[in-house]
Amino acid sequence: MNCVELQQSLAEVEDGSTPEQSTHLKTCPACSELLQELNLIVAGASELQASDEPSPRVWNSIEIALRQEGLIRPQPSAPPSDVPSFSARWGSARWLVPAAAMLLLLVGIYERRQQSVSVPVNDRSRQAASVVAPLVNPSGLNDEDFIQEVGANAPAMRSQYKENLRRVNDSIVDAQSAVNESPNDPEARRALMDAYHQKSMLFEMAMDQPMQ
Amino acid sequence: MRPETDYLTEPRQKPGTELSEAEAIERAKQGDADAFQVLYDKHKRRVYSLCLRMTANTAEAEDLAQEAFLQLYRKIGTFRGESAFSTWLHRLSVNVVLMHLRKKSLPVISLEEATQGSDEDSPKKDFGADDVALAGSIDRMQLQRAVNDLPPGYRTIFVLHDVEGYEHNEIAGLVGCSIGNSKSQLHKARMKLRDLLKMNRAEKAGKSRAG
Repeated sequence: MNCVELQQSLAEVEDGSTPEQSTHLKTCPACSELLQELNLIVAGASELQASDEPSPRVWNSIEIALRQEGLIRPQPSAPPSDVPSFSARWGSARWLVPAAAMLLLLVGIYERRQQSVSVPVNDRSRQAASVVAPLVNPSGLNDEDFIQEVGANAPAMRSQYKENLRRVNDSIVDAQSAVNESPNDPEARRALMDAYHQKSMLFEMAMDQPMQ
Repeated sequence: MRPETDYLTEPRQKPGTELSEAEAIERAKQGDADAFQVLYDKHKRRVYSLCLRMTANTAEAEDLAQEAFLQLYRKIGTFRGESAFSTWLHRLSVNVVLMHLRKKSLPVISLEEATQGSDEDSPKKDFGADDVALAGSIDRMQLQRAVNDLPPGYRTIFVLHDVEGYEHNEIAGLVGCSIGNSKSQLHKARMKLRDLLKMNRAEKAGKSRAG
């Protein structure tokens, strides 16, 4: 067996254990080194399994899709609380918050389009950065108020919503940076819009959540 | 497939309130949001890493991981426990990625690569790469970059076999090739990785000498 044959045979018997392979490997330092290096690669490969973490965006998108598809159903909840729930407190007007969010989103888009028609290209970057800024407080609540509302009505969900809010705010900051860097990049602007949309969905989900 | 490892036990809830995987599956079948997230947290790293390794693209990997979990949740009512849940999920994830590669017309497996070396894919052996030995261990980041640089056909087989632990007969069934073809491509993928890693080391050595 020569070096070429040895290399070809490693596809079938990768540990070089056949008598022919062993004989060649004993007398050929180059092929021995090759086998050793291939073994290093195989050993290193297993470390790539489960080595990376997806961004929070993935779970946020999954959760939104699950709710939209009705795969997440309200669970039989704990005994009623003495504190009126967020939904109860808003009563029949509870749908106004997501509606207001969507309205502001549309107004933001409309205004931006109107302004971009008459504004020179150089001035567009400043506008792009604020394209959806009105959505920061879509319900009139700031973040702290929102967490307090959730905490008051569903203490068990408070940390969950706080974490989700932190994640979505991080996404907004990242997306905003991208828009600031490339104001005319439609992908960056779309990402920012998506991030704000996720935040409004979070507020909406808080109201749909069965309170404990 | 390689047995599951400790990544499955990543804690999310407070001690004493952790759901077992079996409980989480049953509760997810009832539409329990927390159970869905418990399952996601337990498996997200492996599913996402699989998608990332096979596409070498973060945005695509995130979209595919999302799609894999959504398919899982849509079908979870049909899970009867005949196989391990993780096996079921990972098989489903692999299929999602392979379907994506086929839609993009990327070669899941390349006959040319399987039968002969492709000159244009071969790393250029500048910087005396042949003289550089891969002694000791291989840095994970370097290996990751080299895997990303593999042609898609090689990458698929290498990831499925050496990273995910699938056997050649399983790979043959998944990608639709012969067992011999899978073995041949895996060997070529490893050889190409070796060249890429050597080239990378030789470049670094060249830069440090120049600096």
